[in-house]
Amino acid sequence: MKSKMIKRHSKVTIFMHWFNAFCWFFLLATGLGLIKNEDLQLMGGWWSNLMYSIFGSGETLLLVHEILGLTWLVVFILYMIFGSRKYVIPFLKQVFTYSPTTDLKWLIKKNIQMTLGNKGLKRLGFTPDIPDQGFYNVGQKLFAVASVLGGIVIAATGLIMFFSNILMQNTAIVQWAIVIHFVGVGLVTGGLLVHIYMAAISPDERPAFFSMFTGTVPEDYAEHHHKLWYEEIKDAERKAHSA
Amino acid sequence: MKKQLAMVIDSASCIDCRGCMTACKVENKVPPGKWRNWIKEQNPDLKNLDNPGFMHFQPGNCMHCDNPTCVQACPTSATYKDDKDGTIKVNKKLCIGCGSCIPACPYGARYRHPEEKVVDKCDFCEHRRARGELPACVTTCPTKARTFGDLKDPNSEVARLLKDNNGVRVVNRETDTQPNIYYLSMTAPIDWPVKAETPAAIQLWKVINPFVWGFVGLNVLGVLAMLGKQLLIKDEPLEVEHK
Repeated sequence: MKSKMIKRHSKVTIFMHWFNAFCWFFLLATGLGLIKNEDLQLMGGWWSNLMYSIFGSGETLLLVHEILGLTWLVVFILYMIFGSRKYVIPFLKQVFTYSPTTDLKWLIKKNIQMTLGNKGLKRLGFTPDIPDQGFYNVGQKLFAVASVLGGIVIAATGLIMFFSNILMQNTAIVQWAIVIHFVGVGLVTGGLLVHIYMAAISPDERPAFFSMFTGTVPEDYAEHHHKLWYEEIKDAERKAHSA
Repeated sequence: MKKQLAMVIDSASCIDCRGCMTACKVENKVPPGKWRNWIKEQNPDLKNLDNPGFMHFQPGNCMHCDNPTCVQACPTSATYKDDKDGTIKVNKKLCIGCGSCIPACPYGARYRHPEEKVVDKCDFCEHRRARGELPACVTTCPTKARTFGDLKDPNSEVARLLKDNNGVRVVNRETDTQPNIYYLSMTAPIDWPVKAETPAAIQLWKVINPFVWGFVGLNVLGVLAMLGKQLLIKDEPLEVEHK
């Protein structure tokens, strides 16, 4: 086994990841609690009642949700301004670049492999080889795109609701903002469940989970899970040596 | 509900002096062009002299309904029915000014405050009741057309009036909100309440809700399938031999 570790995440990325996770967790909990109308809340009233009793009242709950949401937005805007060249633009380039044929193959095979195993893959007539992946695999890229687009929609509709008490004249815009905010959060939350499973519960991606604390992954993990990225790094190393 | 505050109005006594409207406007600092209460009028049809009808004035305000369509339309439950006194209240700090409740009231009792940008309406003069006084419109009425009190208290004047007389409620045929303003015996006009309408966005929310939760649920199922596979199925080595 190769035991050498290679760098995968910077300290800034790790901070942003856990900051985002913290905000998401509390914004989701408080936001779900704010939908107290039981006609609009499939969970029934118990979650709202729980949140109301934790925060004391509905207006405190709303205030906490608003402050947290605005903090999240301000930090991300600062990140996008000051980290644009180093972090944001390279990330966006990576997650918005797809190669349709191999990506589709990866998606189908990986899903079968994750639920039915390699045996299932063979039984369904697939070969067990799965297309090599770059820094992110297709699943990660798709979730990243959903998070980015979802984040923009959620932030925009959140701002509309926040400013509705200050400058909005047209209430229809506010009504639509609430619904779109809700749907956007629902869609990203679906993906978030898979994201959390993959990282924290599934054994395959455990090194990736630890890398969100340490910043590094073992070389053999990189080679097996992100071969194209691994090869890039090796090429760069070789060039550096020969130069 | 421990109490049900209500009004019993003898509309035949109303002389259309608009003292109640003036008193309310001053007492509650209701902004220009907006009203928390009203006097509806029926005029005789002078072109139809065989059956001209009669002139009648009908004072009214928020009816603090038992089936409040405004509460059902409010996403955050900023508008709610108070379980102590049975009035319909607006928590202005929890209201995000979406205006969904405004078309949901058959009586047009709600408006969006032009400066506060949140909804406002009659609260049976909560601040006056707190110091033991009657609502301003009741106190000011020179012909004592308006009687105010607790319907659940059999000794209250409103309960006594309804025991001795026929109380009628003015409702829209399609959306009976079970109002808590009663008119003594006969009143007019009666055809003015409109059908309670929920804004399109909120209606769509009610339709789309199961799908959003369904999507999240599907992701839960996917994760459970992967977890089951992880725990139950002994698989061939997951990694395919790389050359």
